[in-house]
Amino acid sequence: MDDPPISRGFRSNRQGQAPSNRLPPGQYVTSDFPVLSAGPTPHLSLDDWSLALEYEGTVLGIWSWGQFEDLPQTPIRADIHCVTKWSKLDTTWQGVMFDDLLRAAGLRKPPAPYVMAHSKSGYTTNLAVDDLVGGKGAVVTRYANSPIEPVHGGPARLFVPHLYFWKSAKWLRRLSFMESNKPGFWESAGYHIRGDPWKEERYDGD
Amino acid sequence: MTDGRTGSARRLEWQVAEVRDIVVETPRVKTFLMDVASWRGHLPGQHVDIRLTAEDGYQAQRSYSIASPPEDELIALTVVRVDNGEVSPYLHGELRGGDQFELRGPIGGYFIWTTAVGVPLQLIGGGSGVAPLMAMLRHRDRRDDHGPAMLLYSSRSVEEIIYREELDAMTRRDRDLRVINTLTSRQPEGWSGYGRRIDKAMLAESCFPPEASPKSFVCGPTPFVESASRFLVELGHDPLSIKTERFGPTGA
Amino acid sequence: MAETESGFVLDGNAAAGLLQEFFAFEVTAAETKCAACGAIQIVGALRLYAAPMGAVLRCPRCERVVMKAVRTPHGGWLELTGTEYLRF
Repeated sequence: MDDPPISRGFRSNRQGQAPSNRLPPGQYVTSDFPVLSAGPTPHLSLDDWSLALEYEGTVLGIWSWGQFEDLPQTPIRADIHCVTKWSKLDTTWQGVMFDDLLRAAGLRKPPAPYVMAHSKSGYTTNLAVDDLVGGKGAVVTRYANSPIEPVHGGPARLFVPHLYFWKSAKWLRRLSFMESNKPGFWESAGYHIRGDPWKEERYDGD
Repeated sequence: MTDGRTGSARRLEWQVAEVRDIVVETPRVKTFLMDVASWRGHLPGQHVDIRLTAEDGYQAQRSYSIASPPEDELIALTVVRVDNGEVSPYLHGELRGGDQFELRGPIGGYFIWTTAVGVPLQLIGGGSGVAPLMAMLRHRDRRDDHGPAMLLYSSRSVEEIIYREELDAMTRRDRDLRVINTLTSRQPEGWSGYGRRIDKAMLAESCFPPEASPKSFVCGPTPFVESASRFLVELGHDPLSIKTERFGPTGA
Repeated sequence: MAETESGFVLDGNAAAGLLQEFFAFEVTAAETKCAACGAIQIVGALRLYAAPMGAVLRCPRCERVVMKAVRTPHGGWLELTGTEYLRF
């Protein structure tokens, strides 16, 4: 295949001031916060909100909004990387670490090695528990010191910044433990089952 | 080439397009006239994808409506310069005659009108959403086809009306074409036209009535398209007779 | 870039370039029936989400997924479980 013609003088305007060791391969820094959703933004009232941990139909833990806000809150600062190639550095969030969620549900260890995250919108994404414990994952409710806006997944979303951001499911309602790593919405459609940006695991087959 | 409804579509390949001319339409809008060597024609309303490649291999892709009719030799792409955009500032600021980029198309079998589809033709455009509608009007004009047609066109000010002189000239020579402008931010001294965002009353006054069974095309930013098409339905137009094209970010 | 809530939903028409790679016919002009609510739509009039990652086409009436298409360097994925049929 021929090389595409170079567009004289064209550069990405996303090349920000990022030291290259902060950016995974193929990523570009952005200063805005693009919205990408697989469906319409659900509007959730905090009165109706709940978050459940479950395993094979059994609820292991469930919290209303008030109860969730009473759990240990942790501030987080992290870089986030979208599979569509934008990265946003030093984003700040606040929420409940997955480790603290397990503790609050009285689980000394997770009942199964994998989790399917379920959004209110019907979106799903699968993760290994290993990618959530040890401070790697959280359920966040605040971004840059304010409640997360609905378009960005508020009132609460999963936050797993060491993986591509499609794994950080918006409008989180349920985390279901599962024995096998069943693929979620994008993973079953050609995206990578794990999605490590440092290994550039964008697509199934990478 | 696709036929008026749906015909077979050939596999699209990226082709090289060369800039032949650049027309300044308004302070923030330019039209790029492109020569695409193996272009096999298109239908009014279709669009193209363009792809730019930087020296480091970075690529950006965007979609633009074809503003020229199939009767013209060069492909016209009308582009608004988006502040802090990635592609449009490059096209506006850097591109010169003789420069090339990749293009594939024509794309789209849905948002299409040709004289064969019939009249009345009802076009509602917001800002740069007028581009594919202009392809339809230019096609109608080249064909000397004078069935009833109207364009309700929303712009912020008179200076931002794209194709203003050409639309004036079209209406002067064609009594079956009505062009109604509404200026939403600033109106010039003595302006007697509409000076507000499109609403149901404006549509009721300007549009063909539902009984005339117009073929309606609405194009512009998503909120514009959603409200205009909702009002048309509320006025009694058959939803299936209204085709919409929301302009928004598609490129990665 | 300000992102309005409705700013990222497009018409199925905008997915024509991607879908063109899967079908011999121009699919955005085809008629489809939503398998969830029975609404009959033209594919180009479906609501398109997630455009840079792929095409998620939803029924304008019930918002369920009618069609999902992803193109990757390794191939493609097309899911049509939300359609009862496509009429070309």
